[in-house]
Parts: sequence; structure tokens; C-alpha cells
Amino acid sequence: MTDQATEVTEPGAAVVPASEGGGALVAQSDHAPVAAAGHSNHPTPRQYVLIAVVLVIVTGIEIATSYLNTGHTNLIIIALFLMAALKFFLVAAWYMHMKVDQPLFRRVFVVGMVGAGIVYGIVILVFSSTVLKS
Amino acid sequence: MAVVTAAEAAPVVSHDDAHQTNTGVSNNKLAIWVFLASESLFFGAFIATYFLYRGRDAQFLKGPSPTSLLNIPFTSVTSFVLLMSSLTMVLALAAIQRGDHRRLRIWLLATAVFGMTFIAGQVYEFTEFYRQGLHLGTNLFGTTFFVLTGLHGAHVTIGIVWLLSLWGRSMQGSLPQERAEAVEIAGLYWHFVDVVWIFIFTAIYLIPQH
Repeated sequence: MTDQATEVTEPGAAVVPASEGGGALVAQSDHAPVAAAGHSNHPTPRQYVLIAVVLVIVTGIEIATSYLNTGHTNLIIIALFLMAALKFFLVAAWYMHMKVDQPLFRRVFVVGMVGAGIVYGIVILVFSSTVLKS
Repeated sequence: MAVVTAAEAAPVVSHDDAHQTNTGVSNNKLAIWVFLASESLFFGAFIATYFLYRGRDAQFLKGPSPTSLLNIPFTSVTSFVLLMSSLTMVLALAAIQRGDHRRLRIWLLATAVFGMTFIAGQVYEFTEFYRQGLHLGTNLFGTTFFVLTGLHGAHVTIGIVWLLSLWGRSMQGSLPQERAEAVEIAGLYWHFVDVVWIFIFTAIYLIPQH
């Protein structure tokens, strides 16, 4: 930290130079621009409505796909899950603001989602091939 | 070294309380994201269980079959209602962020009403299934279906109570623009419940039954 660096302190609080353990204060000020992003970069109501229109269209295609009687059941299942994943992405990215919010929130949530996918993927594979094979 | 007081630095930081934490992010928002991550594991368990047992009791299926029970057009309408509630929820958030409390209350109430419509549809569906002979213990489909959709319905119900409490606080004037984060956190929960339903709807209703 140079002498030109800025520290943020409470009024009346002792100023602790970074070299004497004041690093935490500097760390907070480093985060400030990210926190300042706040909701100023959230989508506009018009964008929210556009996302809703896309969600409705994809849902309509999903329902129509479920009525297809082509005999290609596996293809239909894959298509349905891809469309569900697209809807999930749209809601999470735009409505839950994962696209513009702090990266830490996105990481925490992705760990939960990916963790769930891995754990239950293993459970389904193991139980399907052993316990429930008959 | 230039020293700036917190009061001078205040305009730099938004009113999401992030400046009061060691991490630089809002503790409340971090908590709800951690909670939602744990909820992913919670619902993942029940969705995985549904897939594990799906169609496995076909040879000794008691009671009505899923094909004869599931009403896709009806559930599509209730799913559409829940999807639209996510739109009204973000519009409520946008309203409080620009200080429009009248619209905040309208959109919050609309979201709660959409949620109640969804729950009413679920109650009708459960009643109809029960009347046709599908109970919790009738077969594996009954067990996995009622537990998975019932737990989701319970989450929606909690969300409705949460939204109505925010609406009540706004009516009393105790939800100022500076507390927009309270609406954002409720919104995150509500959208999560919506995305969980996206997968439940696909898994139970849209994927062709055996």
C-alpha cells in the first residue's frame, strides 16, 4: 500500500496504517466498488417482461414437445431437459440477478447445484445398477 | 496517506449493508444464497428419488396409473401462473428500488395471488388424485409424487406468507426504499421455488410415462 492509498474509517476511530494491521480496512474499501454496483445494473422492467415472454414461449414449446409421438423418447427427454435448463438459466441470470450481482453469490449457488447434480447422479447410477436392478 | 471518514465515503456504497461486513458483501444476501444452495441438495434428493422409483412398480401397480391421472393441460396453466409470479416479483423489486411504493404493493400482492392460485390448483389436483384412489401409500408413484410436489407446495406457501408480510410492512410504512434488500431476498427465495418447479414439471408431467 502506498501513501496515496485511501482508508475508510468510522468518524473518531483511530486510523491504523496497513503496515500495522489496518489491512482489513483496505480490504473493505477494495470491495466497495463491487458493492456499489448494487442494483444500479439490474435489468429494466422492460427487459424483465421480455424475459417472461421468452419463458412463456419456451414453456409452450416444452408442452408441445411432450405431446410428440415420434417414438424417439430419449430425444424428447433430452430436449425437455435442455429447455428446462434454458428456463432455469434465464430465471437465475436475469430475475435472480446472478448475471450482474456479486460473483461470490453465484459461486455459492453453483457449488450447491453442481454438488446436488454430482451426488444424486451417483446415487441414481449406483442404485439403478445394483439395488434396483431387478 | 489520505484518510476519509465513513460518512464521506458513504455515497460510494449502496444501501445493501455491504459496507457493514468484513466480506464486502451483504450478510443477508450471502445467507439466502447459502440457504438456496442447501435447498438445491434438499430438492435434488426428492427429484432423484422420484427418478429412481419411476415406473419400477409397473408390474405390481396398485391403484390408478400415472398416465390416467396426470392432467398436463391443467398443470400447464398452474405452471404458467407460477412463472408469471416470478415476473411480478421482479417488478415489485424494481418498484421499491425506484421508491414507487404503490406499485411495490400491487406487484407483491399480485405475486402472492399467483402463488395462492398455484396452491389452489395443487390442492384440487391432490384431491382429485385421492378421489381416484391414489394415496401416499398406494404405490411408489403415489409416495414420490405426493412427497415431492407436497414439499414444493409447502415452500410456495411459506413464500406467500413472506410476501404478504412484506406487503403488510409496506402498508404500515415500515418498508422504505433503503430496505429494498428485504424484497430482493424474498424474491430470490421465490424465484428459486419457481426454478425448482420448472424441473419438477418436466420430470413428472412432461417426460413420457412408461
